[in-house]
Amino acid sequence: MEGRPLDDQELVEQARGGDARAYEALVRRYQDLAFRTAYVIAGSAADAEDAAQEGFVKAWYALSRFRAGAAFRPWLLTIVANEARNRRRSGRRQDDLTLRVAEDRPSGDAAPSPEAAALAGEQRRLLLAAVGRLGEADRQVIACRYFLDLSEAEMAGALGCRPGTVKSRLSRALGRLRAAMAEPVEVRE
Amino acid sequence: MSRAELDLQAALRDLGAHLDLPPTPDLAAAVATRLREAPAPAPSPAPRRPWWLPGWRRLALAGMAAVLLAAAVLVVSPGTREAVARRLGLRGVDIRIGGERPTPTVTTRPGERLELGLGERVTLAEARRRAAFPVLVPTAAGFQRPDAVYVNPDQPLGGRVDFVFRARPGLPASPYTDAGLLVTQFQGTLTPDFVKKVVAGGLVEEVQVAGQPGYWFSGEPHFFTYVDRGGQLNDERTRLAGNTLVWQAGALTLRLEGQISRQEALRIAASMR
Repeated sequence: MEGRPLDDQELVEQARGGDARAYEALVRRYQDLAFRTAYVIAGSAADAEDAAQEGFVKAWYALSRFRAGAAFRPWLLTIVANEARNRRRSGRRQDDLTLRVAEDRPSGDAAPSPEAAALAGEQRRLLLAAVGRLGEADRQVIACRYFLDLSEAEMAGALGCRPGTVKSRLSRALGRLRAAMAEPVEVRE
Repeated sequence: MSRAELDLQAALRDLGAHLDLPPTPDLAAAVATRLREAPAPAPSPAPRRPWWLPGWRRLALAGMAAVLLAAAVLVVSPGTREAVARRLGLRGVDIRIGGERPTPTVTTRPGERLELGLGERVTLAEARRRAAFPVLVPTAAGFQRPDAVYVNPDQPLGGRVDFVFRARPGLPASPYTDAGLLVTQFQGTLTPDFVKKVVAGGLVEEVQVAGQPGYWFSGEPHFFTYVDRGGQLNDERTRLAGNTLVWQAGALTLRLEGQISRQEALRIAASMR
């Protein structure tokens, strides 16, 4: 037995044959991605957990309809994102996605000076605030592309749109983000 | 792409790398537990395919959007079938509204004894012994003792038990089963599509039986596909079915067919213990 981890397609094939362990390996591989995608869409950690878990279970039952040879990630994210959207819609109106910038933890040689770190942190907070002023659709497309690093196919699945429209959506969102950044920002004392 | 655009994209990527996202819960463990509790029949396509008549799914898909019925009607496409069934908590039954009509493979001639895909005829005690689940029996007056009990311990997964009540005054013979009432139970949680129902012109209503979800099929007969006695997966049969109630009781999915009113069907169903 060689030590090479099985790739998605091999795991999917085994899972389609009823191998729950193979499927568990897929869940482990993509739980981070699924949870974060659900979080970006549902806007709360509790709903995201719920949606991601339900999505994985549904995907298992739907494996027989998964087209052999297709990419697993976009397919999975489509299912998970649907769950997340349902929760966002059906639940009470949730708070908008709340993201926070983590505190920089300087370490090693490359550690910036405290001043530089503070400046970088401040710039990130300003950028995040500008993203937060965008509409939901714009926020989501930007989050999927730059925060989650999804491919176009995965973005289409997560956002529930045609792959052909992802690029233009993203470009419009970036345009509005630039405009939002130019707006005067209310400074809290 | 302009320098400013590239800068903005780089800044967004940098921001993404510095976001404080909530920690990912251990989904793998939670999912594994759920799959163990309700082990799917191997989701490989091979054993499922025989459930579909040739070309049927494709045709049904093409005509899917065609029919819209009144309120409280369920539309289930193959793509979302499991999702919808799960959301409504009803398992083991695939309900489709509209689309192409399947061709019945069991013709129903009034008065003729029909092949209903029943298992071996046994006593109720024997059925209880051989089924892998606690068998429910109606407690409603007149339905406490089925005229015939059948068990098939192997098909579907977890087995199935059927009760037949003979026609009698107040309980007319169904032209589709030749019986007064046919009651089927199986573990729907183990069997995503044990039976299929296609409604072309009748009505499907969402109902509740003891607080659990169910559907009442009435009006024009619907198409009912099931596995024949042999339990071979290829041995599917499609026949017309009359008024039918399908509902869930915990892990069990039950089906009750007869030419009775919705109220009467719900009364019998709710009395099952």
